[in-house]
Amino acid sequence: MGGHIKRGRRAGRTDLLAVSGFIVASLIVINLPAGPQRDVGHFIRQTVLRPFIGVNALLTRTQARARDFDTLRAQMDTTMALVAAQRTLAEENRQLRGVLSLKDRAPSRFVSATVIRSGSSGSASVFHLDAGSIDGVRPFNAVITERGLLGQVQEVFPEYSLAYDWSHPDFRVSAMTPDGRGHGLVEAARGAFREQDRLVLGGTAYLSDLEPGTELLTSGRGGAFPRGIRIGSIVGVAETSAGWSKSYYVDPVVYPGAVTHAVADIGVAGGMLAALADSAAAPSREGSR
Amino acid sequence: MRIREVLLVSCLILTHLFLRTALGFGKAAPDLFIVALLVGSRTLGVGAGAGLGFVLGLVEDAFSMRAFGSSAFAMTLVGAFGAKSRDYFVGDSMGFLVTFFLLGTWGRDLLAWVVTEASVRPAFQDHLLIEAPLLALYATIVGLAARSLFLPRRKRG
Repeated sequence: MGGHIKRGRRAGRTDLLAVSGFIVASLIVINLPAGPQRDVGHFIRQTVLRPFIGVNALLTRTQARARDFDTLRAQMDTTMALVAAQRTLAEENRQLRGVLSLKDRAPSRFVSATVIRSGSSGSASVFHLDAGSIDGVRPFNAVITERGLLGQVQEVFPEYSLAYDWSHPDFRVSAMTPDGRGHGLVEAARGAFREQDRLVLGGTAYLSDLEPGTELLTSGRGGAFPRGIRIGSIVGVAETSAGWSKSYYVDPVVYPGAVTHAVADIGVAGGMLAALADSAAAPSREGSR
Repeated sequence: MRIREVLLVSCLILTHLFLRTALGFGKAAPDLFIVALLVGSRTLGVGAGAGLGFVLGLVEDAFSMRAFGSSAFAMTLVGAFGAKSRDYFVGDSMGFLVTFFLLGTWGRDLLAWVVTEASVRPAFQDHLLIEAPLLALYATIVGLAARSLFLPRRKRG
């Protein structure tokens, strides 16, 4: 009888120690610096989750390949028409740059990738790209679809990278109107309910009226995003602040949930920032996909 | 933990990963991690329940960029409380199981929300008063179905 009680007490003490240990471990995990957290996440993704992520990537690629041929044909025809109509512009631009003694613009380089969403809680706004540092992807590269800006790469590993889309609370992009008269900063604004989350263009001059439907492009300020990528269009005025500045609601051109394929812009501006953030650059094999 | 319970918990974990990560169903699929944890913790010791919660929480956090560790913390506590509940509530009546699954799932969401950085976590009303109770109900229905299919109640007498 006494032995039973003693064994019970010992087991209770062991349990208490184990629970305390796991709680302390979980608190340590929460408060770890970003680097070690990144390593732990990477380890889990490359071990436990690897087969499941592989199946997801396979299904997404198969789905993309099964896309209606007529839709792809129509997209190709549109692109061909656009290229044909603007063929002379490149020559005119080159001549004008020569007259003004301007240097040639460095061309953008893109890496094609499949967009994979994990579906786990806490991963809202985060997606997985099956292209990593060996493909030339770097942190802060812009992620673009055929419609416009999807998001930005945040963490890069040799074979894959993690990025967030424009609905993430940390997402910011400097924007402008196509005529360059209106400038501001586009960010996701949280509503009381998720359906009220919207993109908002803030920091525009009070007197610069932007009509509903006005297109917004990335302005390239700050160097994080290349200039000229479509973000969305103005819906209406969101707020005016004491006659000083105005903010506008923006209708995005890309809806993240529907995206299965995107390209990472590994061109000049993103590349420079990336080189500062991640000096461990690997040889690129962009364009091989 | 009997072999039947081990098999059920393993099946729930694998199904969760298959539905949510491999097929990308997201919240359209029930949260079978929490169901597995609640089912498992009722047959485990407090330390093992917390350990199971910690491991499942870490896997759940693998894709989390700004709230890493919040699921691990929440599921550790839920696993420990789930195991401890055996000392206070004996048996597996329908009323108890419904309350256990509902409170366990909602409690996990509440704990994860509390420890997530304020700038990243979702709005309180939307997440904890609307979305979380509905998801808890979904998990409860699936949890009860799984239990009744794989762990039938022993007949008395």
